[in-house]
Amino acid sequence: MRYLVPFGFLVFAAILVAVPLMASNEYELRLFMLFLIYGMIAVGLNVLVGLTGLVSLGQAGLFALGSYSGAILAMRLGFDIVAACLGAAVVSAAFGVLLAYPTVRVRGVYLAVVTIAFGIIVENVAIEWQSLTGGTTGLSSIPKPNVFGVRLSGFAFYGILAVTLFVLTLLIHNLKISRFGRTMLAVSQSETASRALGINSTGLRTMAFVISSITAGIAGTFYAFLNSYISPDIFTFSDSVRFLLMVILGGAGSTFGPVIGAYLLTYLPEYLQQFQLWQKFAYGALLLIVMFVLPRGIVGTLKYAFDRLRPADPVPDAADGMSVENSLRYEKKMLAAELVATSLTVRFGGLSALTKASLRVKGGEIHALIGPNGAGKSTFVNTISGFYLPDEGRCEFDGVELIGRRSLDIARLGLARTFQNTELFGELSVLQNVMAGYDQRLSYGLFQALLRTPRMRREEIECRRAAVGLLAFVGLSQYANEEARFLPFGLQRRLEIARALASKPRLLLLDEPAAGLTTQEIDDLEAMIRRIAELGISILLIEHHVDLIMALADNVTVLDYGQVIASDAPAAIQVDPRVIEAYFGTSIAHAETAA
Amino acid sequence: MTTTIQYTLSGLAIGGIYALVALGFHIMWSAAKAVNFAHGDTLMLGAVLAVVGVDAGLPMPIACLLAIVAGGVFGVLLERFAMRPFTVAANSIGWMLTTIAVGVMIEALATLQFGGFSRPLASPGVKSAVHIFGAGVYPQELLIPAVAVLVMIGLRLMQRHTLIGRAMQAVAHDKRAAALMGINVNRIVAFSFGLASLFGAAAGVLVAPVIQVSASMGALLGLKGFAVAIIAGITSAPGVVIAGLCFGVMEKFVEGYISTSAREIIGFGVMILVLLAFPQGLFGKREVLKV
Repeated sequence: MRYLVPFGFLVFAAILVAVPLMASNEYELRLFMLFLIYGMIAVGLNVLVGLTGLVSLGQAGLFALGSYSGAILAMRLGFDIVAACLGAAVVSAAFGVLLAYPTVRVRGVYLAVVTIAFGIIVENVAIEWQSLTGGTTGLSSIPKPNVFGVRLSGFAFYGILAVTLFVLTLLIHNLKISRFGRTMLAVSQSETASRALGINSTGLRTMAFVISSITAGIAGTFYAFLNSYISPDIFTFSDSVRFLLMVILGGAGSTFGPVIGAYLLTYLPEYLQQFQLWQKFAYGALLLIVMFVLPRGIVGTLKYAFDRLRPADPVPDAADGMSVENSLRYEKKMLAAELVATSLTVRFGGLSALTKASLRVKGGEIHALIGPNGAGKSTFVNTISGFYLPDEGRCEFDGVELIGRRSLDIARLGLARTFQNTELFGELSVLQNVMAGYDQRLSYGLFQALLRTPRMRREEIECRRAAVGLLAFVGLSQYANEEARFLPFGLQRRLEIARALASKPRLLLLDEPAAGLTTQEIDDLEAMIRRIAELGISILLIEHHVDLIMALADNVTVLDYGQVIASDAPAAIQVDPRVIEAYFGTSIAHAETAA
Repeated sequence: MTTTIQYTLSGLAIGGIYALVALGFHIMWSAAKAVNFAHGDTLMLGAVLAVVGVDAGLPMPIACLLAIVAGGVFGVLLERFAMRPFTVAANSIGWMLTTIAVGVMIEALATLQFGGFSRPLASPGVKSAVHIFGAGVYPQELLIPAVAVLVMIGLRLMQRHTLIGRAMQAVAHDKRAAALMGINVNRIVAFSFGLASLFGAAAGVLVAPVIQVSASMGALLGLKGFAVAIIAGITSAPGVVIAGLCFGVMEKFVEGYISTSAREIIGFGVMILVLLAFPQGLFGKREVLKV
């Protein structure tokens, strides 16, 4: 398996070298060059569709934008093909940000619509801005491809296209196996959990769209040079559908799938030319068939079949992992992680879920938050972790105000949490889940990821070792390669704790970690929480299980009807009449007199 | 003055169509947190079938009624066979792709059957123009925005006072809780898609006498309907109707004073700007993320 991808790249390179040697005429070579250009679009679009799970139906518009930008730069300013490509890349990147940022922070679904609209805008600007774009007649005197003023032969131009597609495929493969690919997949699985781990979902989605814009822009410039004529009606909506289909048919998220999809959909129309009227119908039908029959696409299906045939990957050896003592322990002087919430009030409509609730988690302690169902415990957790905005009140974490900060910023301050109903990245492996949790501790950037620099590799190895160590810590080593959604519920909870710990938090919020666990599992959980606390991490534990709380907690705060009714050591809480009343509906004194 | 009134009245007519389409998106989104991307083609189907029905010798009202019903059936079938298999898994984009695929297929088929030509639907609503302060409009054009507003009010009344309407709201709020209360969620979603498609097809029938009916008419109208839903905030029914009418009027003024190309550029440009300034739309409520 490790050698499969390098082998794939070797075969790909061999094909790219062999084709021009075997092409019998110029038309054949030209068609293959068209495939190379479409391949660039598909490979870039794969980042958006395959990794972030968003759909763009405006790639033809971005392709047109790149085409016009490149052509105009070449004609007006005399740019050579490389400079024109760079110029077009800058223009399409700028429009990519403009389109994606406002859209993806609201709803991913909107992106499909906004991109279609963008295609229409580009078409109409091209028609309207006659002085620049030549209006409906288009641009026809695009210079022949040249570099530094030297005119390129047909083969040299082919070489540039082939190298560009090969390099793009390689770079995007590198992106996929880096922190960016991992967190993009994580965001597509659960935006909520991503935010709680300090992962910037809007930023990643915007980045994915910008990457797909840039590749479409570069491909557009090459297209303008190849065709030496462009007009607004070349770039249609049905091309956008075709580009999307290339990715889906080949296999969204796979390295070579989009290239294969682009190849098939460049040559298929050549064979279908006599059915011109049916061509559009065929694209629709093919998309529908692929969705029902091959939802993973060609490469995805092959990989799936292959994975089932061969023996499973060996699980990473727990001995290779970094012990949690090494990866998580804080220095003594850092121990001060203290959380002070002061009179938090949260209202939902007329209902007050929290009323002037105050709570203080001292550095290094295990603090339990208890209360009957509906007392406002989860609201409290969601408020301090930035998911709800309180109507009143403050909350400080080591002196830093949390209210008003985004949940991802709060997570980056060192506050990690788990969820009452687990929020795992279901289709990621158990190990990948923990590695996604580690993300905010990685410091390498996009270029290091694309180029796989030594620093990127070093940090990735470190991340992996810490994750393996954490899996050993929660006892999930043997499941490292399983998809998280297939774990039984009790193990999913442990995985969530490991994932939250991966960010090296100073305060860990556990939202009902024992709910639905067996007695044996609760005992294991108790030992685990104790060990986490020994590492110097403060813990806020929201729980129902009284035994667990009495055994673990240094202090207990009790909520009832959104108000704090007691906050004291466990022994004192146990005999507090208000607490007993809240839980049993009557005070002991009252019960005794009644008896 | 006359021009202003003229543009306003014709703008309200086309805006009414956008409002009806956007209302459909609103209903589908509320029920399923997913929409039918072939909704524009539902509109086209309504218009084309009405013309085909009249051609076949059916009386106009019958042809229109059948076309609208056919649109509704199309929506229900699409939801059942193209969307539902893919909305089960969370965060799936499958339903987007399948509905886009069906839309592409329907449009291609309609082009093959209906030809490349376009023609209006003969209707008593466009026999003679009426004059209001010197501006000439067809009664049909005055009818469209009225229908849009009435449909919105009707929808409101249904949601408030009927069992199925309340069930729709329950499903929109929380599917799982609705199912636990004994609501058949699948049936409500199917009903919602049927209802949305009825409105879509009705919009097609209403607009058929005013603009040319063609196989490709649905794409742009559907897209603008969604743009209106984004501008208004897809969660607000009165919002989408108001935004739809305003969007139509704005379009007519841009078209009149600048050009048709500028109409598309400015219209969609406004959508992107609104999204930037008001992520939830002008009338939409911020959805509280349930954790």
